[in-house]
Amino acid sequence: MLSRLNDTPCSGDPAQGPQAAEGPHAAEGPQTARGPQAAQESQAYGATPDPGCADLDAGELRIRERVAAFEGLLGDPRDAGNPFGNAALLEADERGELPAEAERALAGFRLNDEFVPRELGGNLDRIDGLARVLRPLFRRDASLGLGYGVTSFLAAIAVWAAGDEAQRNWTAELLRDGGRLAIAYHELAHGNDFVRNEFSARPDGSGGYLLDGRKDVINNAGRAEGLVLFCLTAPPGQRGPRSHSVLLVDTAGLPEDRWSVTDRYRTVGVRGCQVAGFSFERCRVPGSALVGRQGGGVETALRSFQITRSVVPGMVLGGADTALRTVVRFATSRELYRRSVLDIPHAQATVASAFTDLLVCDSICLAATRAVHLLPEQTSVYAAAVKYLVPKLLQDACYNLSIVLGANFYVRDGDYGVFQKHVRDLPMVSLGHAGSAACQATIIPQLPRLARRSWGQGTPAPEALFRTGGGLPPLDTDRLVLAAEDDALVASLLAAVDRLEGPAEAGAELAPVRALLRALVAELNRVREECLALGPHDRTAMASPHAYALADRYTLLLAGSACVNVWLAQRQGGGAGGDGAGFLADPRWVVAALTRVCRHLGLALPEEADEHSEWMLAEVLCRYHEGRSFDLYDTPLAGPLVVDEPAAARH
Amino acid sequence: MPAVTPLEAEYREWLVTRLSGYLRRPENDINVCIPFSEYGMDSVAALSLFGDIEDAFGLYLEPTVAWDYPTIEALARFLVRAGKDGEL
Repeated sequence: MLSRLNDTPCSGDPAQGPQAAEGPHAAEGPQTARGPQAAQESQAYGATPDPGCADLDAGELRIRERVAAFEGLLGDPRDAGNPFGNAALLEADERGELPAEAERALAGFRLNDEFVPRELGGNLDRIDGLARVLRPLFRRDASLGLGYGVTSFLAAIAVWAAGDEAQRNWTAELLRDGGRLAIAYHELAHGNDFVRNEFSARPDGSGGYLLDGRKDVINNAGRAEGLVLFCLTAPPGQRGPRSHSVLLVDTAGLPEDRWSVTDRYRTVGVRGCQVAGFSFERCRVPGSALVGRQGGGVETALRSFQITRSVVPGMVLGGADTALRTVVRFATSRELYRRSVLDIPHAQATVASAFTDLLVCDSICLAATRAVHLLPEQTSVYAAAVKYLVPKLLQDACYNLSIVLGANFYVRDGDYGVFQKHVRDLPMVSLGHAGSAACQATIIPQLPRLARRSWGQGTPAPEALFRTGGGLPPLDTDRLVLAAEDDALVASLLAAVDRLEGPAEAGAELAPVRALLRALVAELNRVREECLALGPHDRTAMASPHAYALADRYTLLLAGSACVNVWLAQRQGGGAGGDGAGFLADPRWVVAALTRVCRHLGLALPEEADEHSEWMLAEVLCRYHEGRSFDLYDTPLAGPLVVDEPAAARH
Repeated sequence: MPAVTPLEAEYREWLVTRLSGYLRRPENDINVCIPFSEYGMDSVAALSLFGDIEDAFGLYLEPTVAWDYPTIEALARFLVRAGKDGEL
């Protein structure tokens, strides 16, 4: 296959440091370390410091080393004896369990340290880094990703954002000892309208609270040592945005006869997760359980969501990486009509488009996670945008890939069984915590004001927002605000247009980028007009379908801005360790990405639009054979080099 | 109960019009003493009210102003004070 695709871009990405500097076949490269034996030894992948990393800051190096060490721990996914291998994870999923051996290995790896701020003894200092470190686990299994760890992070972030010193220390110690936190914000009857929640914590007259009510569909309900509960604390009959509070509860201190764990829910996806509920009846907790101030619950929740909504999609992207890899494996090894499936043009285009969509998703994930540090005043919109758009694009890409897989889509074990698992898991991790409609409802009320005040005259984001690595200002949750005043991503789209229309980037080879950007700006202008015309009733959850469609188009414009700016940053060597010459600096991927964005927007494509399917496919195959990730980071993966099986090899 | 000043009445009238637009209810159906949330205005939508106030009256307020003053009566009274003191 590869020999027919001469113009292969597979030269290693400068963003990956060691791989690029040493070449994919250097002695320290992945293949020598692969195989079941190496996996058992927790070999680190591609983390060897080398001269190419000399300009990396310590934080970036730490992230890369942690990612590589984690990939080493996870080992070869096709090794039948590996607890993190496809076979073991599929079996655990069928049984509806989290595999105990894998959980012990994650505890041994101290994965929970990723969720604890560095000043409290953990590793958490960069939100983009958190997404990158967890992604290898989501490439294997979203149940483990959520069930072992991320649920604890979703809960803990409220404590990091609003808790006092004692609560922060207790939570840090719990997690660092391998303990778990469950998060109970939502109630089944009220969905994302959680201000209507009825679970109450009433002052008991002696400084404590009495808990009453039920919380449903809570991950790890039966085995968490700590609970983060969203409770009604205002007197009966008073319901509003200041009526609820967040409580941090140590289950060891609860009177046993006053609370219970309800029956487990069986779920379609993430079947290993232990999802159940709680029932409390006049259950006393001390006043010290209150996180932040009484009545501050909605504010704490919305602030926390800005971080969790930003970071989770970047982890979940790992599942789509595996879905794509599985389909490539199928398509290169399966013979139909005396050719491999990947000789069929439709299959080629589908695989190439899925890879491009993954890059589009990762670009907006990158911008959103780094915005938490660089643009905390604007994160409320971007976090909701990424949580809305990325799962949607990933699910659409997986649906298209499932067509290539044909009947094998329905097979639950064997070589391709992981595909259906990831396809079932993706919507679950997307819905959990904030459904797409809730995210759109966060965006819509802000659109008219942003359209009027910011679009066209806003300040572009700093270039650091779009770098695939590199230092960031410390995380400061106090700087997160509930409504955005400016929209730097839209301003950065316009700034990119100015730059490409100016003398600095006048080359004829960039004409397609310019043409696609003009199409996006024309769409921005239409979206702006329609946002300005939105009626006041469109600001509420009862907004018209038209307002929801506007939010959808807006998030795609943000994705387009992220793509073109990631590419521009790489062009000038803006990726950490980048030299402006790797895959991400090549205009072809961004032309493909912007073409995909225009297609998702339903725009008439300019003549210059091009998905560069053949070139993108060559990159996919190269990364597939050499074992590197289908995302911006081109990370070396564990497992032996892939040699095509007979059907494809005959060609 | 102190009398409603002309300025406060103006704010009330403006808020009644806004709320009736948000909720698609006739203006005479809106009681100034009933919390926004009781009318079905969700907390996120209430956050957009501060921007409307800023655009209409040039008062720079916290996004959560409609959470802290959750009725037309309370918010109108607060806006009178905010207008006198500048930014609160």
